Amino acid sequence: MLDLIEPALFAVLTIAIVAAGAGVVLANRITTSALLMAFTFLNIAGMFVLLGAETVAMFQVLIYVGAITVLILYGVMFTPQSPRPYGLFFQTQKYWAALLVVPIAIIVALIAFSFRDSATVGAKGGDLLPLATSVFRDFAFPFEVASVLLLAAMVGAIVLVKRDED
Amino acid sequence: MAVPLGAFIAVSAVLFFIGTAGVLVRRNAVVILMSVELMLNATNLALVAFSRRYSSIDERGSVFVVFIFVVAAAEVAVGLAIVLSAYRNKPTVDVDEIRQLKG
Repeated sequence: MLDLIEPALFAVLTIAIVAAGAGVVLANRITTSALLMAFTFLNIAGMFVLLGAETVAMFQVLIYVGAITVLILYGVMFTPQSPRPYGLFFQTQKYWAALLVVPIAIIVALIAFSFRDSATVGAKGGDLLPLATSVFRDFAFPFEVASVLLLAAMVGAIVLVKRDED
Repeated sequence: MAVPLGAFIAVSAVLFFIGTAGVLVRRNAVVILMSVELMLNATNLALVAFSRRYSSIDERGSVFVVFIFVVAAAEVAVGLAIVLSAYRNKPTVDVDEIRQLKG
């Protein structure tokens, strides 16, 4: 009985992720899309907990469900959303695009779905200590570069949206 | 009974396809940004799954996930700024109406 808890949780999270992800693409109202996106992020955080990566799950909730969803909602608020009968849009070069995308999709699907690994994954203790050791010992320089990237993105975003004083 | 690694990879692939479809067929620039975020999350899921599978070595995959968080935050901030400034030039967020570069 206790054995079935993890597969059952996995099934529930999978259904929620796929349904909410499809909803993001298919929903016509943009606010619905944004909130479904937040729901997808939350379920991915659940997947991380199921994998035993609690620290990454916590970052996921803080950054994606918290910050990025709020940022996207602000973007929705600042841009007028013209009502359309349907939000989907197929480009004029869709046949060429399909010719390019479909073979790649088939290859990726074959690789991803034929992936067999007899070993199972699950919680094997927390991930905070190995993660912190890795980030601050082996990846200390990329960590600093990432902070510079964030600073540059912040300055760039401010410059892009700043109105010219006239 | 734990879940096999292949199941996580399959979910990740499906979510990545959904995000790709969103980028290709949606006309609203903000929804395209959301679809890119879905794709980034799918890769995060695959990275964490592999990282937990081989965590006897170390936690490299989760480190990459942390860096993807940083890049995703930067990407969405700059992306929204570009959408807003494009909206200021031409009052629309529909990518099929932003065609100033078309010759």
